[in-house]
Amino acid sequence: MKKIKKGTVEKIEKIAQDTYALEISSDVKEAHAGQFISILCPPKTLRRPFSIKGFKDGKIQVFFRLKGEGTNYIKSLKVGDSVDFMGALGTGFNIENKKSLLVGAGIGIAPMLFLKDELNSKGIENFLITGFKAQNEVIQGSDKTVVGGSVIDYLDEIIKEFKPQVIYSCGPEIVLKLVNQKALEHNIDAFVAMEKVFACQVGVCRGCVIKVKKDGKVQNATICHDGPVFKSSEVVWE
Amino acid sequence: MGIKIADFEMKNPIIAASGTFGYADEYEDFCDVSQIGAIATKGITLEPRLGNEGDRIFETDCGMINRIGLENIGIERFIEEKIPILKKKNITYILNAAGSTLEDYAQLASIANKAGIEAIELNVSCPNVKSGCLEFGVDSNSLHELVLRVRKNYDGCLIVKLTPNVTSIESLALAVEKAGADAISAINTLKGLGIKIDYINGKFYKKEVQGGLSGKCIKPVALAMVKRIRSAVKLPIIGMGGISGLSDLFEFISAGADAFEVGTHNFTQCDACVSLALELEEFMRENKFSTFKDLKTAIKEIN
Ligand SMILES: Cc1cc2nc3c(=O)[nH]c(=O)nc-3n(C[C@H](O)[C@H](O)[C@H](O)COP(=O)(O)OP(=O)(O)OC[C@H]3O[C@@H](n4cnc5c(N)ncnc54)[C@H](O)[C@@H]3O)c2cc1C
Ligand SMILES: Cc1cc2nc3c(=O)[nH]c(=O)nc-3n(C[C@H](O)[C@H](O)[C@H](O)COP(=O)(O)O)c2cc1C
Ligand code: FES
Repeated sequence: MKKIKKGTVEKIEKIAQDTYALEISSDVKEAHAGQFISILCPPKTLRRPFSIKGFKDGKIQVFFRLKGEGTNYIKSLKVGDSVDFMGALGTGFNIENKKSLLVGAGIGIAPMLFLKDELNSKGIENFLITGFKAQNEVIQGSDKTVVGGSVIDYLDEIIKEFKPQVIYSCGPEIVLKLVNQKALEHNIDAFVAMEKVFACQVGVCRGCVIKVKKDGKVQNATICHDGPVFKSSEVVWE
Repeated sequence: MGIKIADFEMKNPIIAASGTFGYADEYEDFCDVSQIGAIATKGITLEPRLGNEGDRIFETDCGMINRIGLENIGIERFIEEKIPILKKKNITYILNAAGSTLEDYAQLASIANKAGIEAIELNVSCPNVKSGCLEFGVDSNSLHELVLRVRKNYDGCLIVKLTPNVTSIESLALAVEKAGADAISAINTLKGLGIKIDYINGKFYKKEVQGGLSGKCIKPVALAMVKRIRSAVKLPIIGMGGISGLSDLFEFISAGADAFEVGTHNFTQCDACVSLALELEEFMRENKFSTFKDLKTAIKEIN
């Protein structure tokens, strides 16, 4: 199955301040939480990666926040327009039958919502907490939403009450780093979805590497292909 | 559509440029790699390298800057792990070789010779690595000596890739020809600096990436360099720099190129090389050019 696709815009709608939901119909057969698609945004040279928020019968959903030219191009698309994308790409979350705590920050809620769906469909108990900078940025769908403050400040209490066996997270690197610290303190495994500027999207250009510790050795791993999801204790945090 | 440089045969003149196609088979989920004339591998060194720290990619208007720093698996692993896959899948490849000393290049050449690698492209011009290869690429005497040494150890098709970051590309091209190389490829990336400054909530933030500029924005420089090389030497030239469509191929032919490499455009369209090869084939069929040489001649005769 070739992973370069022409899809069609099914839906595009505003869901929060500067934030949109896009649904693309395609012939993609399989996609999992933590994987992403990379959309061509002419005339930009490099494709723009977006985490998959939902997937059913070839219909792929993503949430995107307006940043620069690429995301503004996507915002200009209309229902019925063609979308050139690659996907589903990357290595997503490995779902285990364990009580799961999901932590999302900002637009990082997107893959967490997909993961929550996947966990629910397998009957795995889970709790999603997300944080947003302001009320008008809030995206719905969490078990607890924090506005203004940091999700990290709530983690000790939630871990004590909910007693998760595993933590999953997506958001700015600074948040992921703190999630890793909390996970270490509470002796729970955590898996985080990382981000960097991509060029090739598929692991060949080595443009998006981070350092990871594996088999006692520090080595490079690509976020686009080996990730975006990594075990947080294996990441060499900067 | 097939072409031949020394004894190295390719089914068409489209080559995936080094650093933009990995070690060749990784793009299999996206296109039929065996339809591409050849794949130039990621720059390979004697020992594996981890590459540069920090941000490695910066997008510019109509292009990008990279500072990967030659991260690669090293020649030993390439031969053990990648060559069997390439052979099995019938993928024609060119080993892009980089080093920091004369000795590195000479050793790589003899290892490649022993392994039966049919073509090497010497990267004497990587702008992202502090010591080493760039030195050779800017000085015609050292380059001459380097190519001589490699030639002595290597019987296959020897291509030397030149940098545009020089004052006289003609003298470098001449040095390469005199030393007995089979072809010249040009251009490698241009030295560039990307700066992005954001002003958020009363505070400035800066992102700065210095490295090699590539993509559509460098095409005019590449064409100029190819033309200057053509004026100095008779060797076949593999032209590259910002190629994305059929008309770019015609422009490079007009400047003096005999084959083409496609780099950054693979990131925009990952099936770019296959599409371009098919487009070229279709153009030739529709317009009754029976060989690629006929097409070249027709373009060179435009007045
Ligand atoms: C695996 C992955 C998943 C992502 N998922 C989502 C998502 O679900 N929703 C969403 O809104 N965004 C997501 N992003 C970020 C998104 O790709 C960038 O916001 C987008 O590329 C910006 O493009 P632009 O042209 O609008 O802005 P630009 O003008 O290119 O950039 C605006 C700012 O964003 C930074 N940026 C550009 N590209 C990236 C990138 N690939 N990764 C991180 N920062 C970048 C730039 O450095 C700059 O500061 C994801 C990124 C990655 C790597
Ligand atoms: C991410 C990236 C990595 C590259 N790595 C190499 C390399 O390892 N060896 C080399 O000779 N050239 C390397 N190049 C240069 C390209 O092969 C090519 O010369 C240059 O990008 C110009 O062509 P383009 O405009 O089509 O990209 C690299 C280019 C890019 C964009
Ligand atoms: S973007 Fe090329 S390796 Fe990840």
